[in-house]
Amino acid sequence: MSAERVSVREKVLSANDLLAAETRGRLESDGIFSLNMISSPGSGKTTLLERTVDMLKPTLRLAVVAGDVQTQNDAERLIRHGIPVAAIETGGGCHLNARQVATSLEALPLAETDLLFIENVGNLVCPSSFDLGESMKVVLMSVTEGEDKPLKYPAAFQRAGVLVLTKVELVPHLRYSTEQAVENARSINPDMVVFSTSCFAGDGLDEWVEWLRARVTERKRSGEGAGS
Amino acid sequence: MHELSLALEIRSICERELAKLPESQIAALGVSVGAFSGVEVESLQFCLEVVMAERFGGVRCEIELVPGLAACLACGREFRVKRAPFECPDCGAAARGITDGQGLQVSYLEVE
Repeated sequence: MSAERVSVREKVLSANDLLAAETRGRLESDGIFSLNMISSPGSGKTTLLERTVDMLKPTLRLAVVAGDVQTQNDAERLIRHGIPVAAIETGGGCHLNARQVATSLEALPLAETDLLFIENVGNLVCPSSFDLGESMKVVLMSVTEGEDKPLKYPAAFQRAGVLVLTKVELVPHLRYSTEQAVENARSINPDMVVFSTSCFAGDGLDEWVEWLRARVTERKRSGEGAGS
Repeated sequence: MHELSLALEIRSICERELAKLPESQIAALGVSVGAFSGVEVESLQFCLEVVMAERFGGVRCEIELVPGLAACLACGREFRVKRAPFECPDCGAAARGITDGQGLQVSYLEVE
């Protein structure tokens, strides 16, 4: 019997992307600005969120989806800061997917949320391939990881709108050039917004928080515009 | 790192396609993988052969690699990139970003 070639041309992640698009529509209609936080393990995603939550909680309504391979440690840390947190334990999965996020959002008070953080599993490879329905991806890079992270993991840096350098208080103890790290990131993604932060010393956190506040205001305005 | 789950997703796409073609068997499967899709080709090949054989018996799994393309920020030229940093071969400026080679799709099935 002769073989017949049938054209398929279907994106392998089309099921994920479809669900992510639904989540995006839902978050947008609720006027929520959302960020998908991606980095290697130990770059400081949870610590940055703890500091951010403390600074923004008095004026904005926040919520977090926290993903981990095992344990709910990150979620427990964030709950102590008095905000709604939904934990996803992937049980070995190296990234969050759109279904896990859509399901976990059911547990959050979205109608009373301005800003949603999705803390992805610590991994610079896989999470960048999976759209979760977020407004924007943020990639974190701690200074101890070296300047060449963007060159080694270009996909994560290419798809993120924001780069947050963390632990910059350690730079004097390292052979590390912040300028080189930022230049490497911009060689892949020239449009990246960059923040240099230290959650320990407080550097750069005001700028980061103000930027977040501006995005939330922008989202509310565009929501009102669309509704009228 | 997640090639097994991608292979399972590809197999479900094949199952849906095959349901439209009664009395057919899959002889071959074509998948295109972008150079910047984050997919490890050898690992995907291995996982695909395993999961396809489990459901459909022997299926030839053909993976085509789609090269990465980036666009120059300064002169607009599109050029092929293998690895970062993405600098324009004409003017040396940084590229705006990858314009092709990030995708992963099932391109065709061969049925008999």
